[in-house]
Amino acid sequence: MDIVPQLVVNSVIAGSLYALITLGFNLIYGTTKFFNLAHGVFAACGAYTVFWLVKIANLPLNLFVACAIGVICAGFLGWMLDVLVFLPLRKRKASSMVLMVASLGAVTAIQAVLAILFTSQFQTLETGGAGSYAYDVLGAIITETQIIIIVSSVCVVAMLGYIARYTTFGKAVEAVRDDEEIARMVGINTNRIISKVFFIGSAIAGLAGILIGFDTGIEPIMGMNILLKGTIAAIIGGVGSLYGGFLGAFVLGFVENFGIWKISGEWKDAIAFIVLIIFLLVRPQGIIKR
Amino acid sequence: MNTTFKAIIWVVVLGVVAWAGYALLGSQPATPVEEAPVAVPAEPIKIGFMGPLSGDGATYGEPFRNIVELAIAEINAAGGVNGAQLIPIYEDAKCNGKDATAAAQKLTNIDGVKVIIGGFCSSESIGAIPVIEAAQVALLSPGSSTPDLTGKSRFFSRTYPSDATQGKVLADAAFTIKKWKNVVMIQEQIDYPLGIYNAFSSSFEQLGGKKVVKEEFPSTTTDFRSMLTKLKAMKPDALFINTQTSAAAGRILKQVKDLKWKPAIIVNDGTAGDMQIISEHKVTLEGALSAEFGTDPNNTKLQNLLSLYKAKYGTDMPYPSYGQTEYDAVYVIRDALLAVGNDGAKIADWLKTVANWEGASGSITIGADGDRVGGHVLKVIKDGKAELYVAPEAMKTATTTTATTTKQ
Amino acid sequence: MAYLIHLAIISSLYAILGISLNLVVGYAGLLSVTHAAFYGIGAYTTALLTLYAGWGFFTSLVCGMAIAGCAACGIAIISGRFKGDYYALVSFGFNIIVFSILLNWQTLTRGPLGIPGIPRPVVLGMPLVQNGHFLLLALALLGVVYMASEWIARSPFGRALKGIREDEEVLRVFGYHVATYKTIICSISAMCAAVAGSLFASYISYIDPSTFTLNESIFILSIIILGGLANMRGSIVGALIFVLLPELLRFVGFPPDIAAQTRQVVYGLILILLMMYRPQGIMGEYAL
Repeated sequence: MDIVPQLVVNSVIAGSLYALITLGFNLIYGTTKFFNLAHGVFAACGAYTVFWLVKIANLPLNLFVACAIGVICAGFLGWMLDVLVFLPLRKRKASSMVLMVASLGAVTAIQAVLAILFTSQFQTLETGGAGSYAYDVLGAIITETQIIIIVSSVCVVAMLGYIARYTTFGKAVEAVRDDEEIARMVGINTNRIISKVFFIGSAIAGLAGILIGFDTGIEPIMGMNILLKGTIAAIIGGVGSLYGGFLGAFVLGFVENFGIWKISGEWKDAIAFIVLIIFLLVRPQGIIKR
Repeated sequence: MNTTFKAIIWVVVLGVVAWAGYALLGSQPATPVEEAPVAVPAEPIKIGFMGPLSGDGATYGEPFRNIVELAIAEINAAGGVNGAQLIPIYEDAKCNGKDATAAAQKLTNIDGVKVIIGGFCSSESIGAIPVIEAAQVALLSPGSSTPDLTGKSRFFSRTYPSDATQGKVLADAAFTIKKWKNVVMIQEQIDYPLGIYNAFSSSFEQLGGKKVVKEEFPSTTTDFRSMLTKLKAMKPDALFINTQTSAAAGRILKQVKDLKWKPAIIVNDGTAGDMQIISEHKVTLEGALSAEFGTDPNNTKLQNLLSLYKAKYGTDMPYPSYGQTEYDAVYVIRDALLAVGNDGAKIADWLKTVANWEGASGSITIGADGDRVGGHVLKVIKDGKAELYVAPEAMKTATTTTATTTKQ
Repeated sequence: MAYLIHLAIISSLYAILGISLNLVVGYAGLLSVTHAAFYGIGAYTTALLTLYAGWGFFTSLVCGMAIAGCAACGIAIISGRFKGDYYALVSFGFNIIVFSILLNWQTLTRGPLGIPGIPRPVVLGMPLVQNGHFLLLALALLGVVYMASEWIARSPFGRALKGIREDEEVLRVFGYHVATYKTIICSISAMCAAVAGSLFASYISYIDPSTFTLNESIFILSIIILGGLANMRGSIVGALIFVLLPELLRFVGFPPDIAAQTRQVVYGLILILLMMYRPQGIMGEYAL
């Protein structure tokens, strides 16, 4: 049974990555009530920004600075998408399905642009051996990058929790999430709040993309697959709920990785969706009811 | 009632238009562009090309296209075929059967070619075969290696050997030389790696090795950690990394390293020929076994090709083991045209008689089953490069090893 | 000319797919993104039955329809209780599950190796080897599907569907068994998609799982959104546009890799612009 510690570590790593995507996704869903399918592509944008800065433009930047720029760029692109596409649609009272289809168009186009600019080739962000030094922990191996992933996800959820509870901005977001109409009547500028939410959510996605880039590498289509998993995690955990999404991500990570143990890798994607459907049938509001 | 009536009219009209158009303008798909002569007239000859020019396979397809372009330019500069210039027509088969069928349809029906160089990916060739058979067009592949294609069609031949030899060579090396009994595999779910698995596992098990346990994955997978963990726990003698896309190979190699696992590794020829992957992961791959369809550094035609490619395209020729067969394929076709003229069936039959044809890839003999005779040799990866394996004993003695009575 | 016939056949296939999806999305208002799964079921059924069991094309067609219809029943029953975007997500899931089955159940489907050498249909003793003849078969089936769909749309059943689309609750109050309606229309839609699948398999003569992915479902959805929801002719127009567009881009002369990506950019922009300025598509009567 010496395989179990490693599976646990693998599950935690996968869960942390899903968590980062789910947190941003949940944030956006909570306030806008539609599935933003373009969320994943901002992960790719963040990763490619860092890629460009470090490997192509070859700027002598500190790695942390490059990553910070990547995160901000991802956030900015998300914000722009809201302002250009989603905001006008919301003003027209478009249904959530219209918004979802529009986001589908956005992701198709943006992914293709990334492929044109950077080719569809697989790349890694790693430069030299830094970050891949592996530690032996209780019978399992984990690399530095992977530790950073786990720590980041915990930090992000803590940060979001703090914002939600202790800042006016956070309370405004809560208000918009509960009822946009009323929030507006009370005087909150809902559109501006939502735009900021898009910025934050997409920035977190960008961070996820960058970390994935260091851990497993980047491709223009990297966003889509992890987004689907993130969506499943969000629903399992309770859509719109901060801690629910966080929890759901880890549930998914564990189910997938332990599933491979017994069932074999080729069914991994199918397993994820079967879990989703079971949850939707049995407990559609997710683990943590909002 | 009104709509139904209109609908019926619609369908009838469409049908009539299609039929009329087809009858007036269409023709038998196999009508030759010119008469089928024995001596090739001085009119230019169209040569079809099918390869993966976009998508994942483009890393192979682009150089393929470049080499064909280069070779045809050379032939034309030297006077063409009996004075007739060759005109290549490039179609993108996107490394899958559906697009390959469309590409083959276009080449045979619209452009009226009689011979096609391609496909590259095995799925491309498999998809194209029904089309070229119906159109009586010869198909010569310099890269499709699945054992499924052996003897598949009168009209199909290849200058690249079947993976059946690759599987056998690797199995021999694993069992007989390295004395490995337990090999596990991580395999991408596409036809090329699957063909190699079939060839390798049947040879390996026949020799007496344990059943090859494999973890399969669809090409979109990025997280191999748990699959590798599972394989690692089986404490195998060796891990066979059997992928097609270099993204998968790169990720797997990194994740093997991240897990602090240092198994003996076997890779397939696609990965072994991928310079970028090998140099990036040279530490993990040190000592790895592979069976490449090798390149002979002493072959003058090959050396010539390498420098011509660099001069014309500005970069080193990638994947030389395919480049050599691609280059040869063009010249083989030239010789076919010289011998029997621009006739698909005659070219196809002539191709099956190719014997000891000297090219950049060495001496080519194509058997009656369309396969190139001879094939993969065992290689080992040392210091970021694949080299010929120099064994203390020759491998030839391994062929009829009776299975030693081990329990499994 | 022969190439035009090829394009016409492909357009007919996508028109059938579009019309059948329109029944579910345009008339019943269910955002289903799993059509490629039924397409695949039809294709694989025909491939396996005609190649390995030696059955005729039309028999295999009917079998494919039956299997797809049953699968759709099952799926509809499970997903019937979900609305809007949840429904879409569940349908994604089904597509991925069916794709995984096609890819992994290798003893049946040969997995990634695909199934080559599928024979052409034999009509009245004559195998449809000539593409021109095949086109006639495709158009005939398209005609049947079109007329059936129009008939459904204009029938009381169709009106009930539109009612469900506009306001499900009201219809339930009026005593309509909404779930049954949804299940029936999903089955019919799936059966028509299977028809397209059977045609596809015997035309291209080689199939593998990579054709029947989520991306393909999204592509079919895009066709009917462009053409117009709840409008059958619109679906045909949409199919034509999406099939011919790459051919036009081909003449612009991009290198093939860029051309494929440019096409994606164009598709994406079309979707966005449609949603923003004309959500009912070219000829649609209903906006999402």
